[in-house]
Amino acid sequence: MDRETVERVARIAHLKLTEEELEGYSRDLSEILEYFKVLDEAPGSEEFGFNPVEISDVLREDEPRMETDPADLLRDMRTYEDYVRGPRLT
Amino acid sequence: MTSLASVNGRYRMFRSFIESIDEDAPFHFSAKDNLTSSAFETCAGSRVLEGYRPAFDAAPISRLSDIGGQLLGKTNMDEFGFGTFSANSAYGIPLNPFDTERACGGSSGGAACAAAVLDGHVALGVSTGGSISCPASFCGVFGITPTYGRVSRYGLIDYANSLDKPGILSARAADLSRYLPVISGRDPRDPTSCMQPDLVLTGRKLRSVAVPETALEGLSRDVESAFRTAIGTLEGMGVEVETVDMPTLRYAMPAYYILATSEASTNLARYGGMRYGPQDGDLALRFDDYFTDFRSRYFGDEAKRRILLGTFTRMVGFRDRYYTKALQVREVVINDYRRVLDDHDAVLAPTMPFVAPRFDDISRMSALDSYKADYLTVPANLAGMPHLSVPCGYDGGGMPIGMQLVADHWCEDVLLSAALDWEKGFDVRRPEVME
Repeated sequence: MDRETVERVARIAHLKLTEEELEGYSRDLSEILEYFKVLDEAPGSEEFGFNPVEISDVLREDEPRMETDPADLLRDMRTYEDYVRGPRLT
Repeated sequence: MTSLASVNGRYRMFRSFIESIDEDAPFHFSAKDNLTSSAFETCAGSRVLEGYRPAFDAAPISRLSDIGGQLLGKTNMDEFGFGTFSANSAYGIPLNPFDTERACGGSSGGAACAAAVLDGHVALGVSTGGSISCPASFCGVFGITPTYGRVSRYGLIDYANSLDKPGILSARAADLSRYLPVISGRDPRDPTSCMQPDLVLTGRKLRSVAVPETALEGLSRDVESAFRTAIGTLEGMGVEVETVDMPTLRYAMPAYYILATSEASTNLARYGGMRYGPQDGDLALRFDDYFTDFRSRYFGDEAKRRILLGTFTRMVGFRDRYYTKALQVREVVINDYRRVLDDHDAVLAPTMPFVAPRFDDISRMSALDSYKADYLTVPANLAGMPHLSVPCGYDGGGMPIGMQLVADHWCEDVLLSAALDWEKGFDVRRPEVME
């Protein structure tokens, strides 16, 4: 994977890489993707799922419930009047 | 009871541990540090989560606590499970109790170390691509990875949702039979656990195993020799052993790494320096820059590599070639196992191609070298099939060697019986524990 592609992928993934990291990941990922070419000759399958076993939807009654005290969840968060603080949108 | 502080000073298996052991507790256990626990910080080996104290216990921890077990501590691991040697840990790299210049394996390395060192200890581990079998093999203990969905993932910090499986490591085979049923079962908080048949232990005996031809390729001489001796022992126990062709196994490693990193790259998107972990970012930064700055500072090297790989393989233009093909290959591998398991109780192979490597050798391995080392453990994990690693020999230096049995979905019963029977005839060595 060339440096430009690594840079583009890193931007999408919200990662800022140093020159040394760009160099290293470009080399590593090229080697890994070269090895992955073996998949091109692998047989495909018409049917496939997103999990290795059958799974079911689990639904419950639409009733409010409180299993965890919100104060416990807020305990370690940087908050202002019980709102989580984050960067500005603009 | 061994002093935890003393033994941890020697082997670094724990990220954190209790100060006072209840000697009257029916049993003691540890949990890999990607299982949430209200009693300890939970960081999954990552600085991204430093300081995170969950408000609840993961399901497997609750279930062991409910029957009286005392949680001794949280065990060190590769960051989010990203590794084969537990060397990618931000909080301490566990040292192999048979030779402290060697790795414990990964990513449940601390768990395997605790199981090997502490008497009567039950260690909760988690496997995504071999993270229970590999360290069990390197540390000379038993490790059961159940069928995907057998044990609830509620409270597990996700690596790859379609692959993660909590399980158990112990120096005693009987502990696997005793405690796997306790942590198993349907849990509406994890829908993937809700279609499972009951885990009923009938004592079904191992009668016949299939050894894939490829399982004997690329092994170190000691591992090959120990494995061949173990096959002879199994035959002496009345188990029929047949060599079979499983042509799709060679595709499992790339398919696994594509699915695992694809899922990991989306799971790790949640770590942005808000809500948990360090929250020391500069709020004056632009919105995207805030998250980029945080993630770049706190994710480790291997985490970044896997985020990049997983993001790339899901991108428009590459998705069909990599991600969709990997999903198809998983189905093909499952069908290959099923074909063989129609005629056999389990598929047998060495667990790892070599004994626990030295840390200086690990430092010279490329990322791909490290991924390739997983070629024996990855196929069963990709297929979501239950598997068991048992000690089966020792090399000339006394380092443990393991072999792995893979059974069909939901057939843990035959694996647990096999562990008990194997233990009766094989002299399992314990490390000489230094404090």
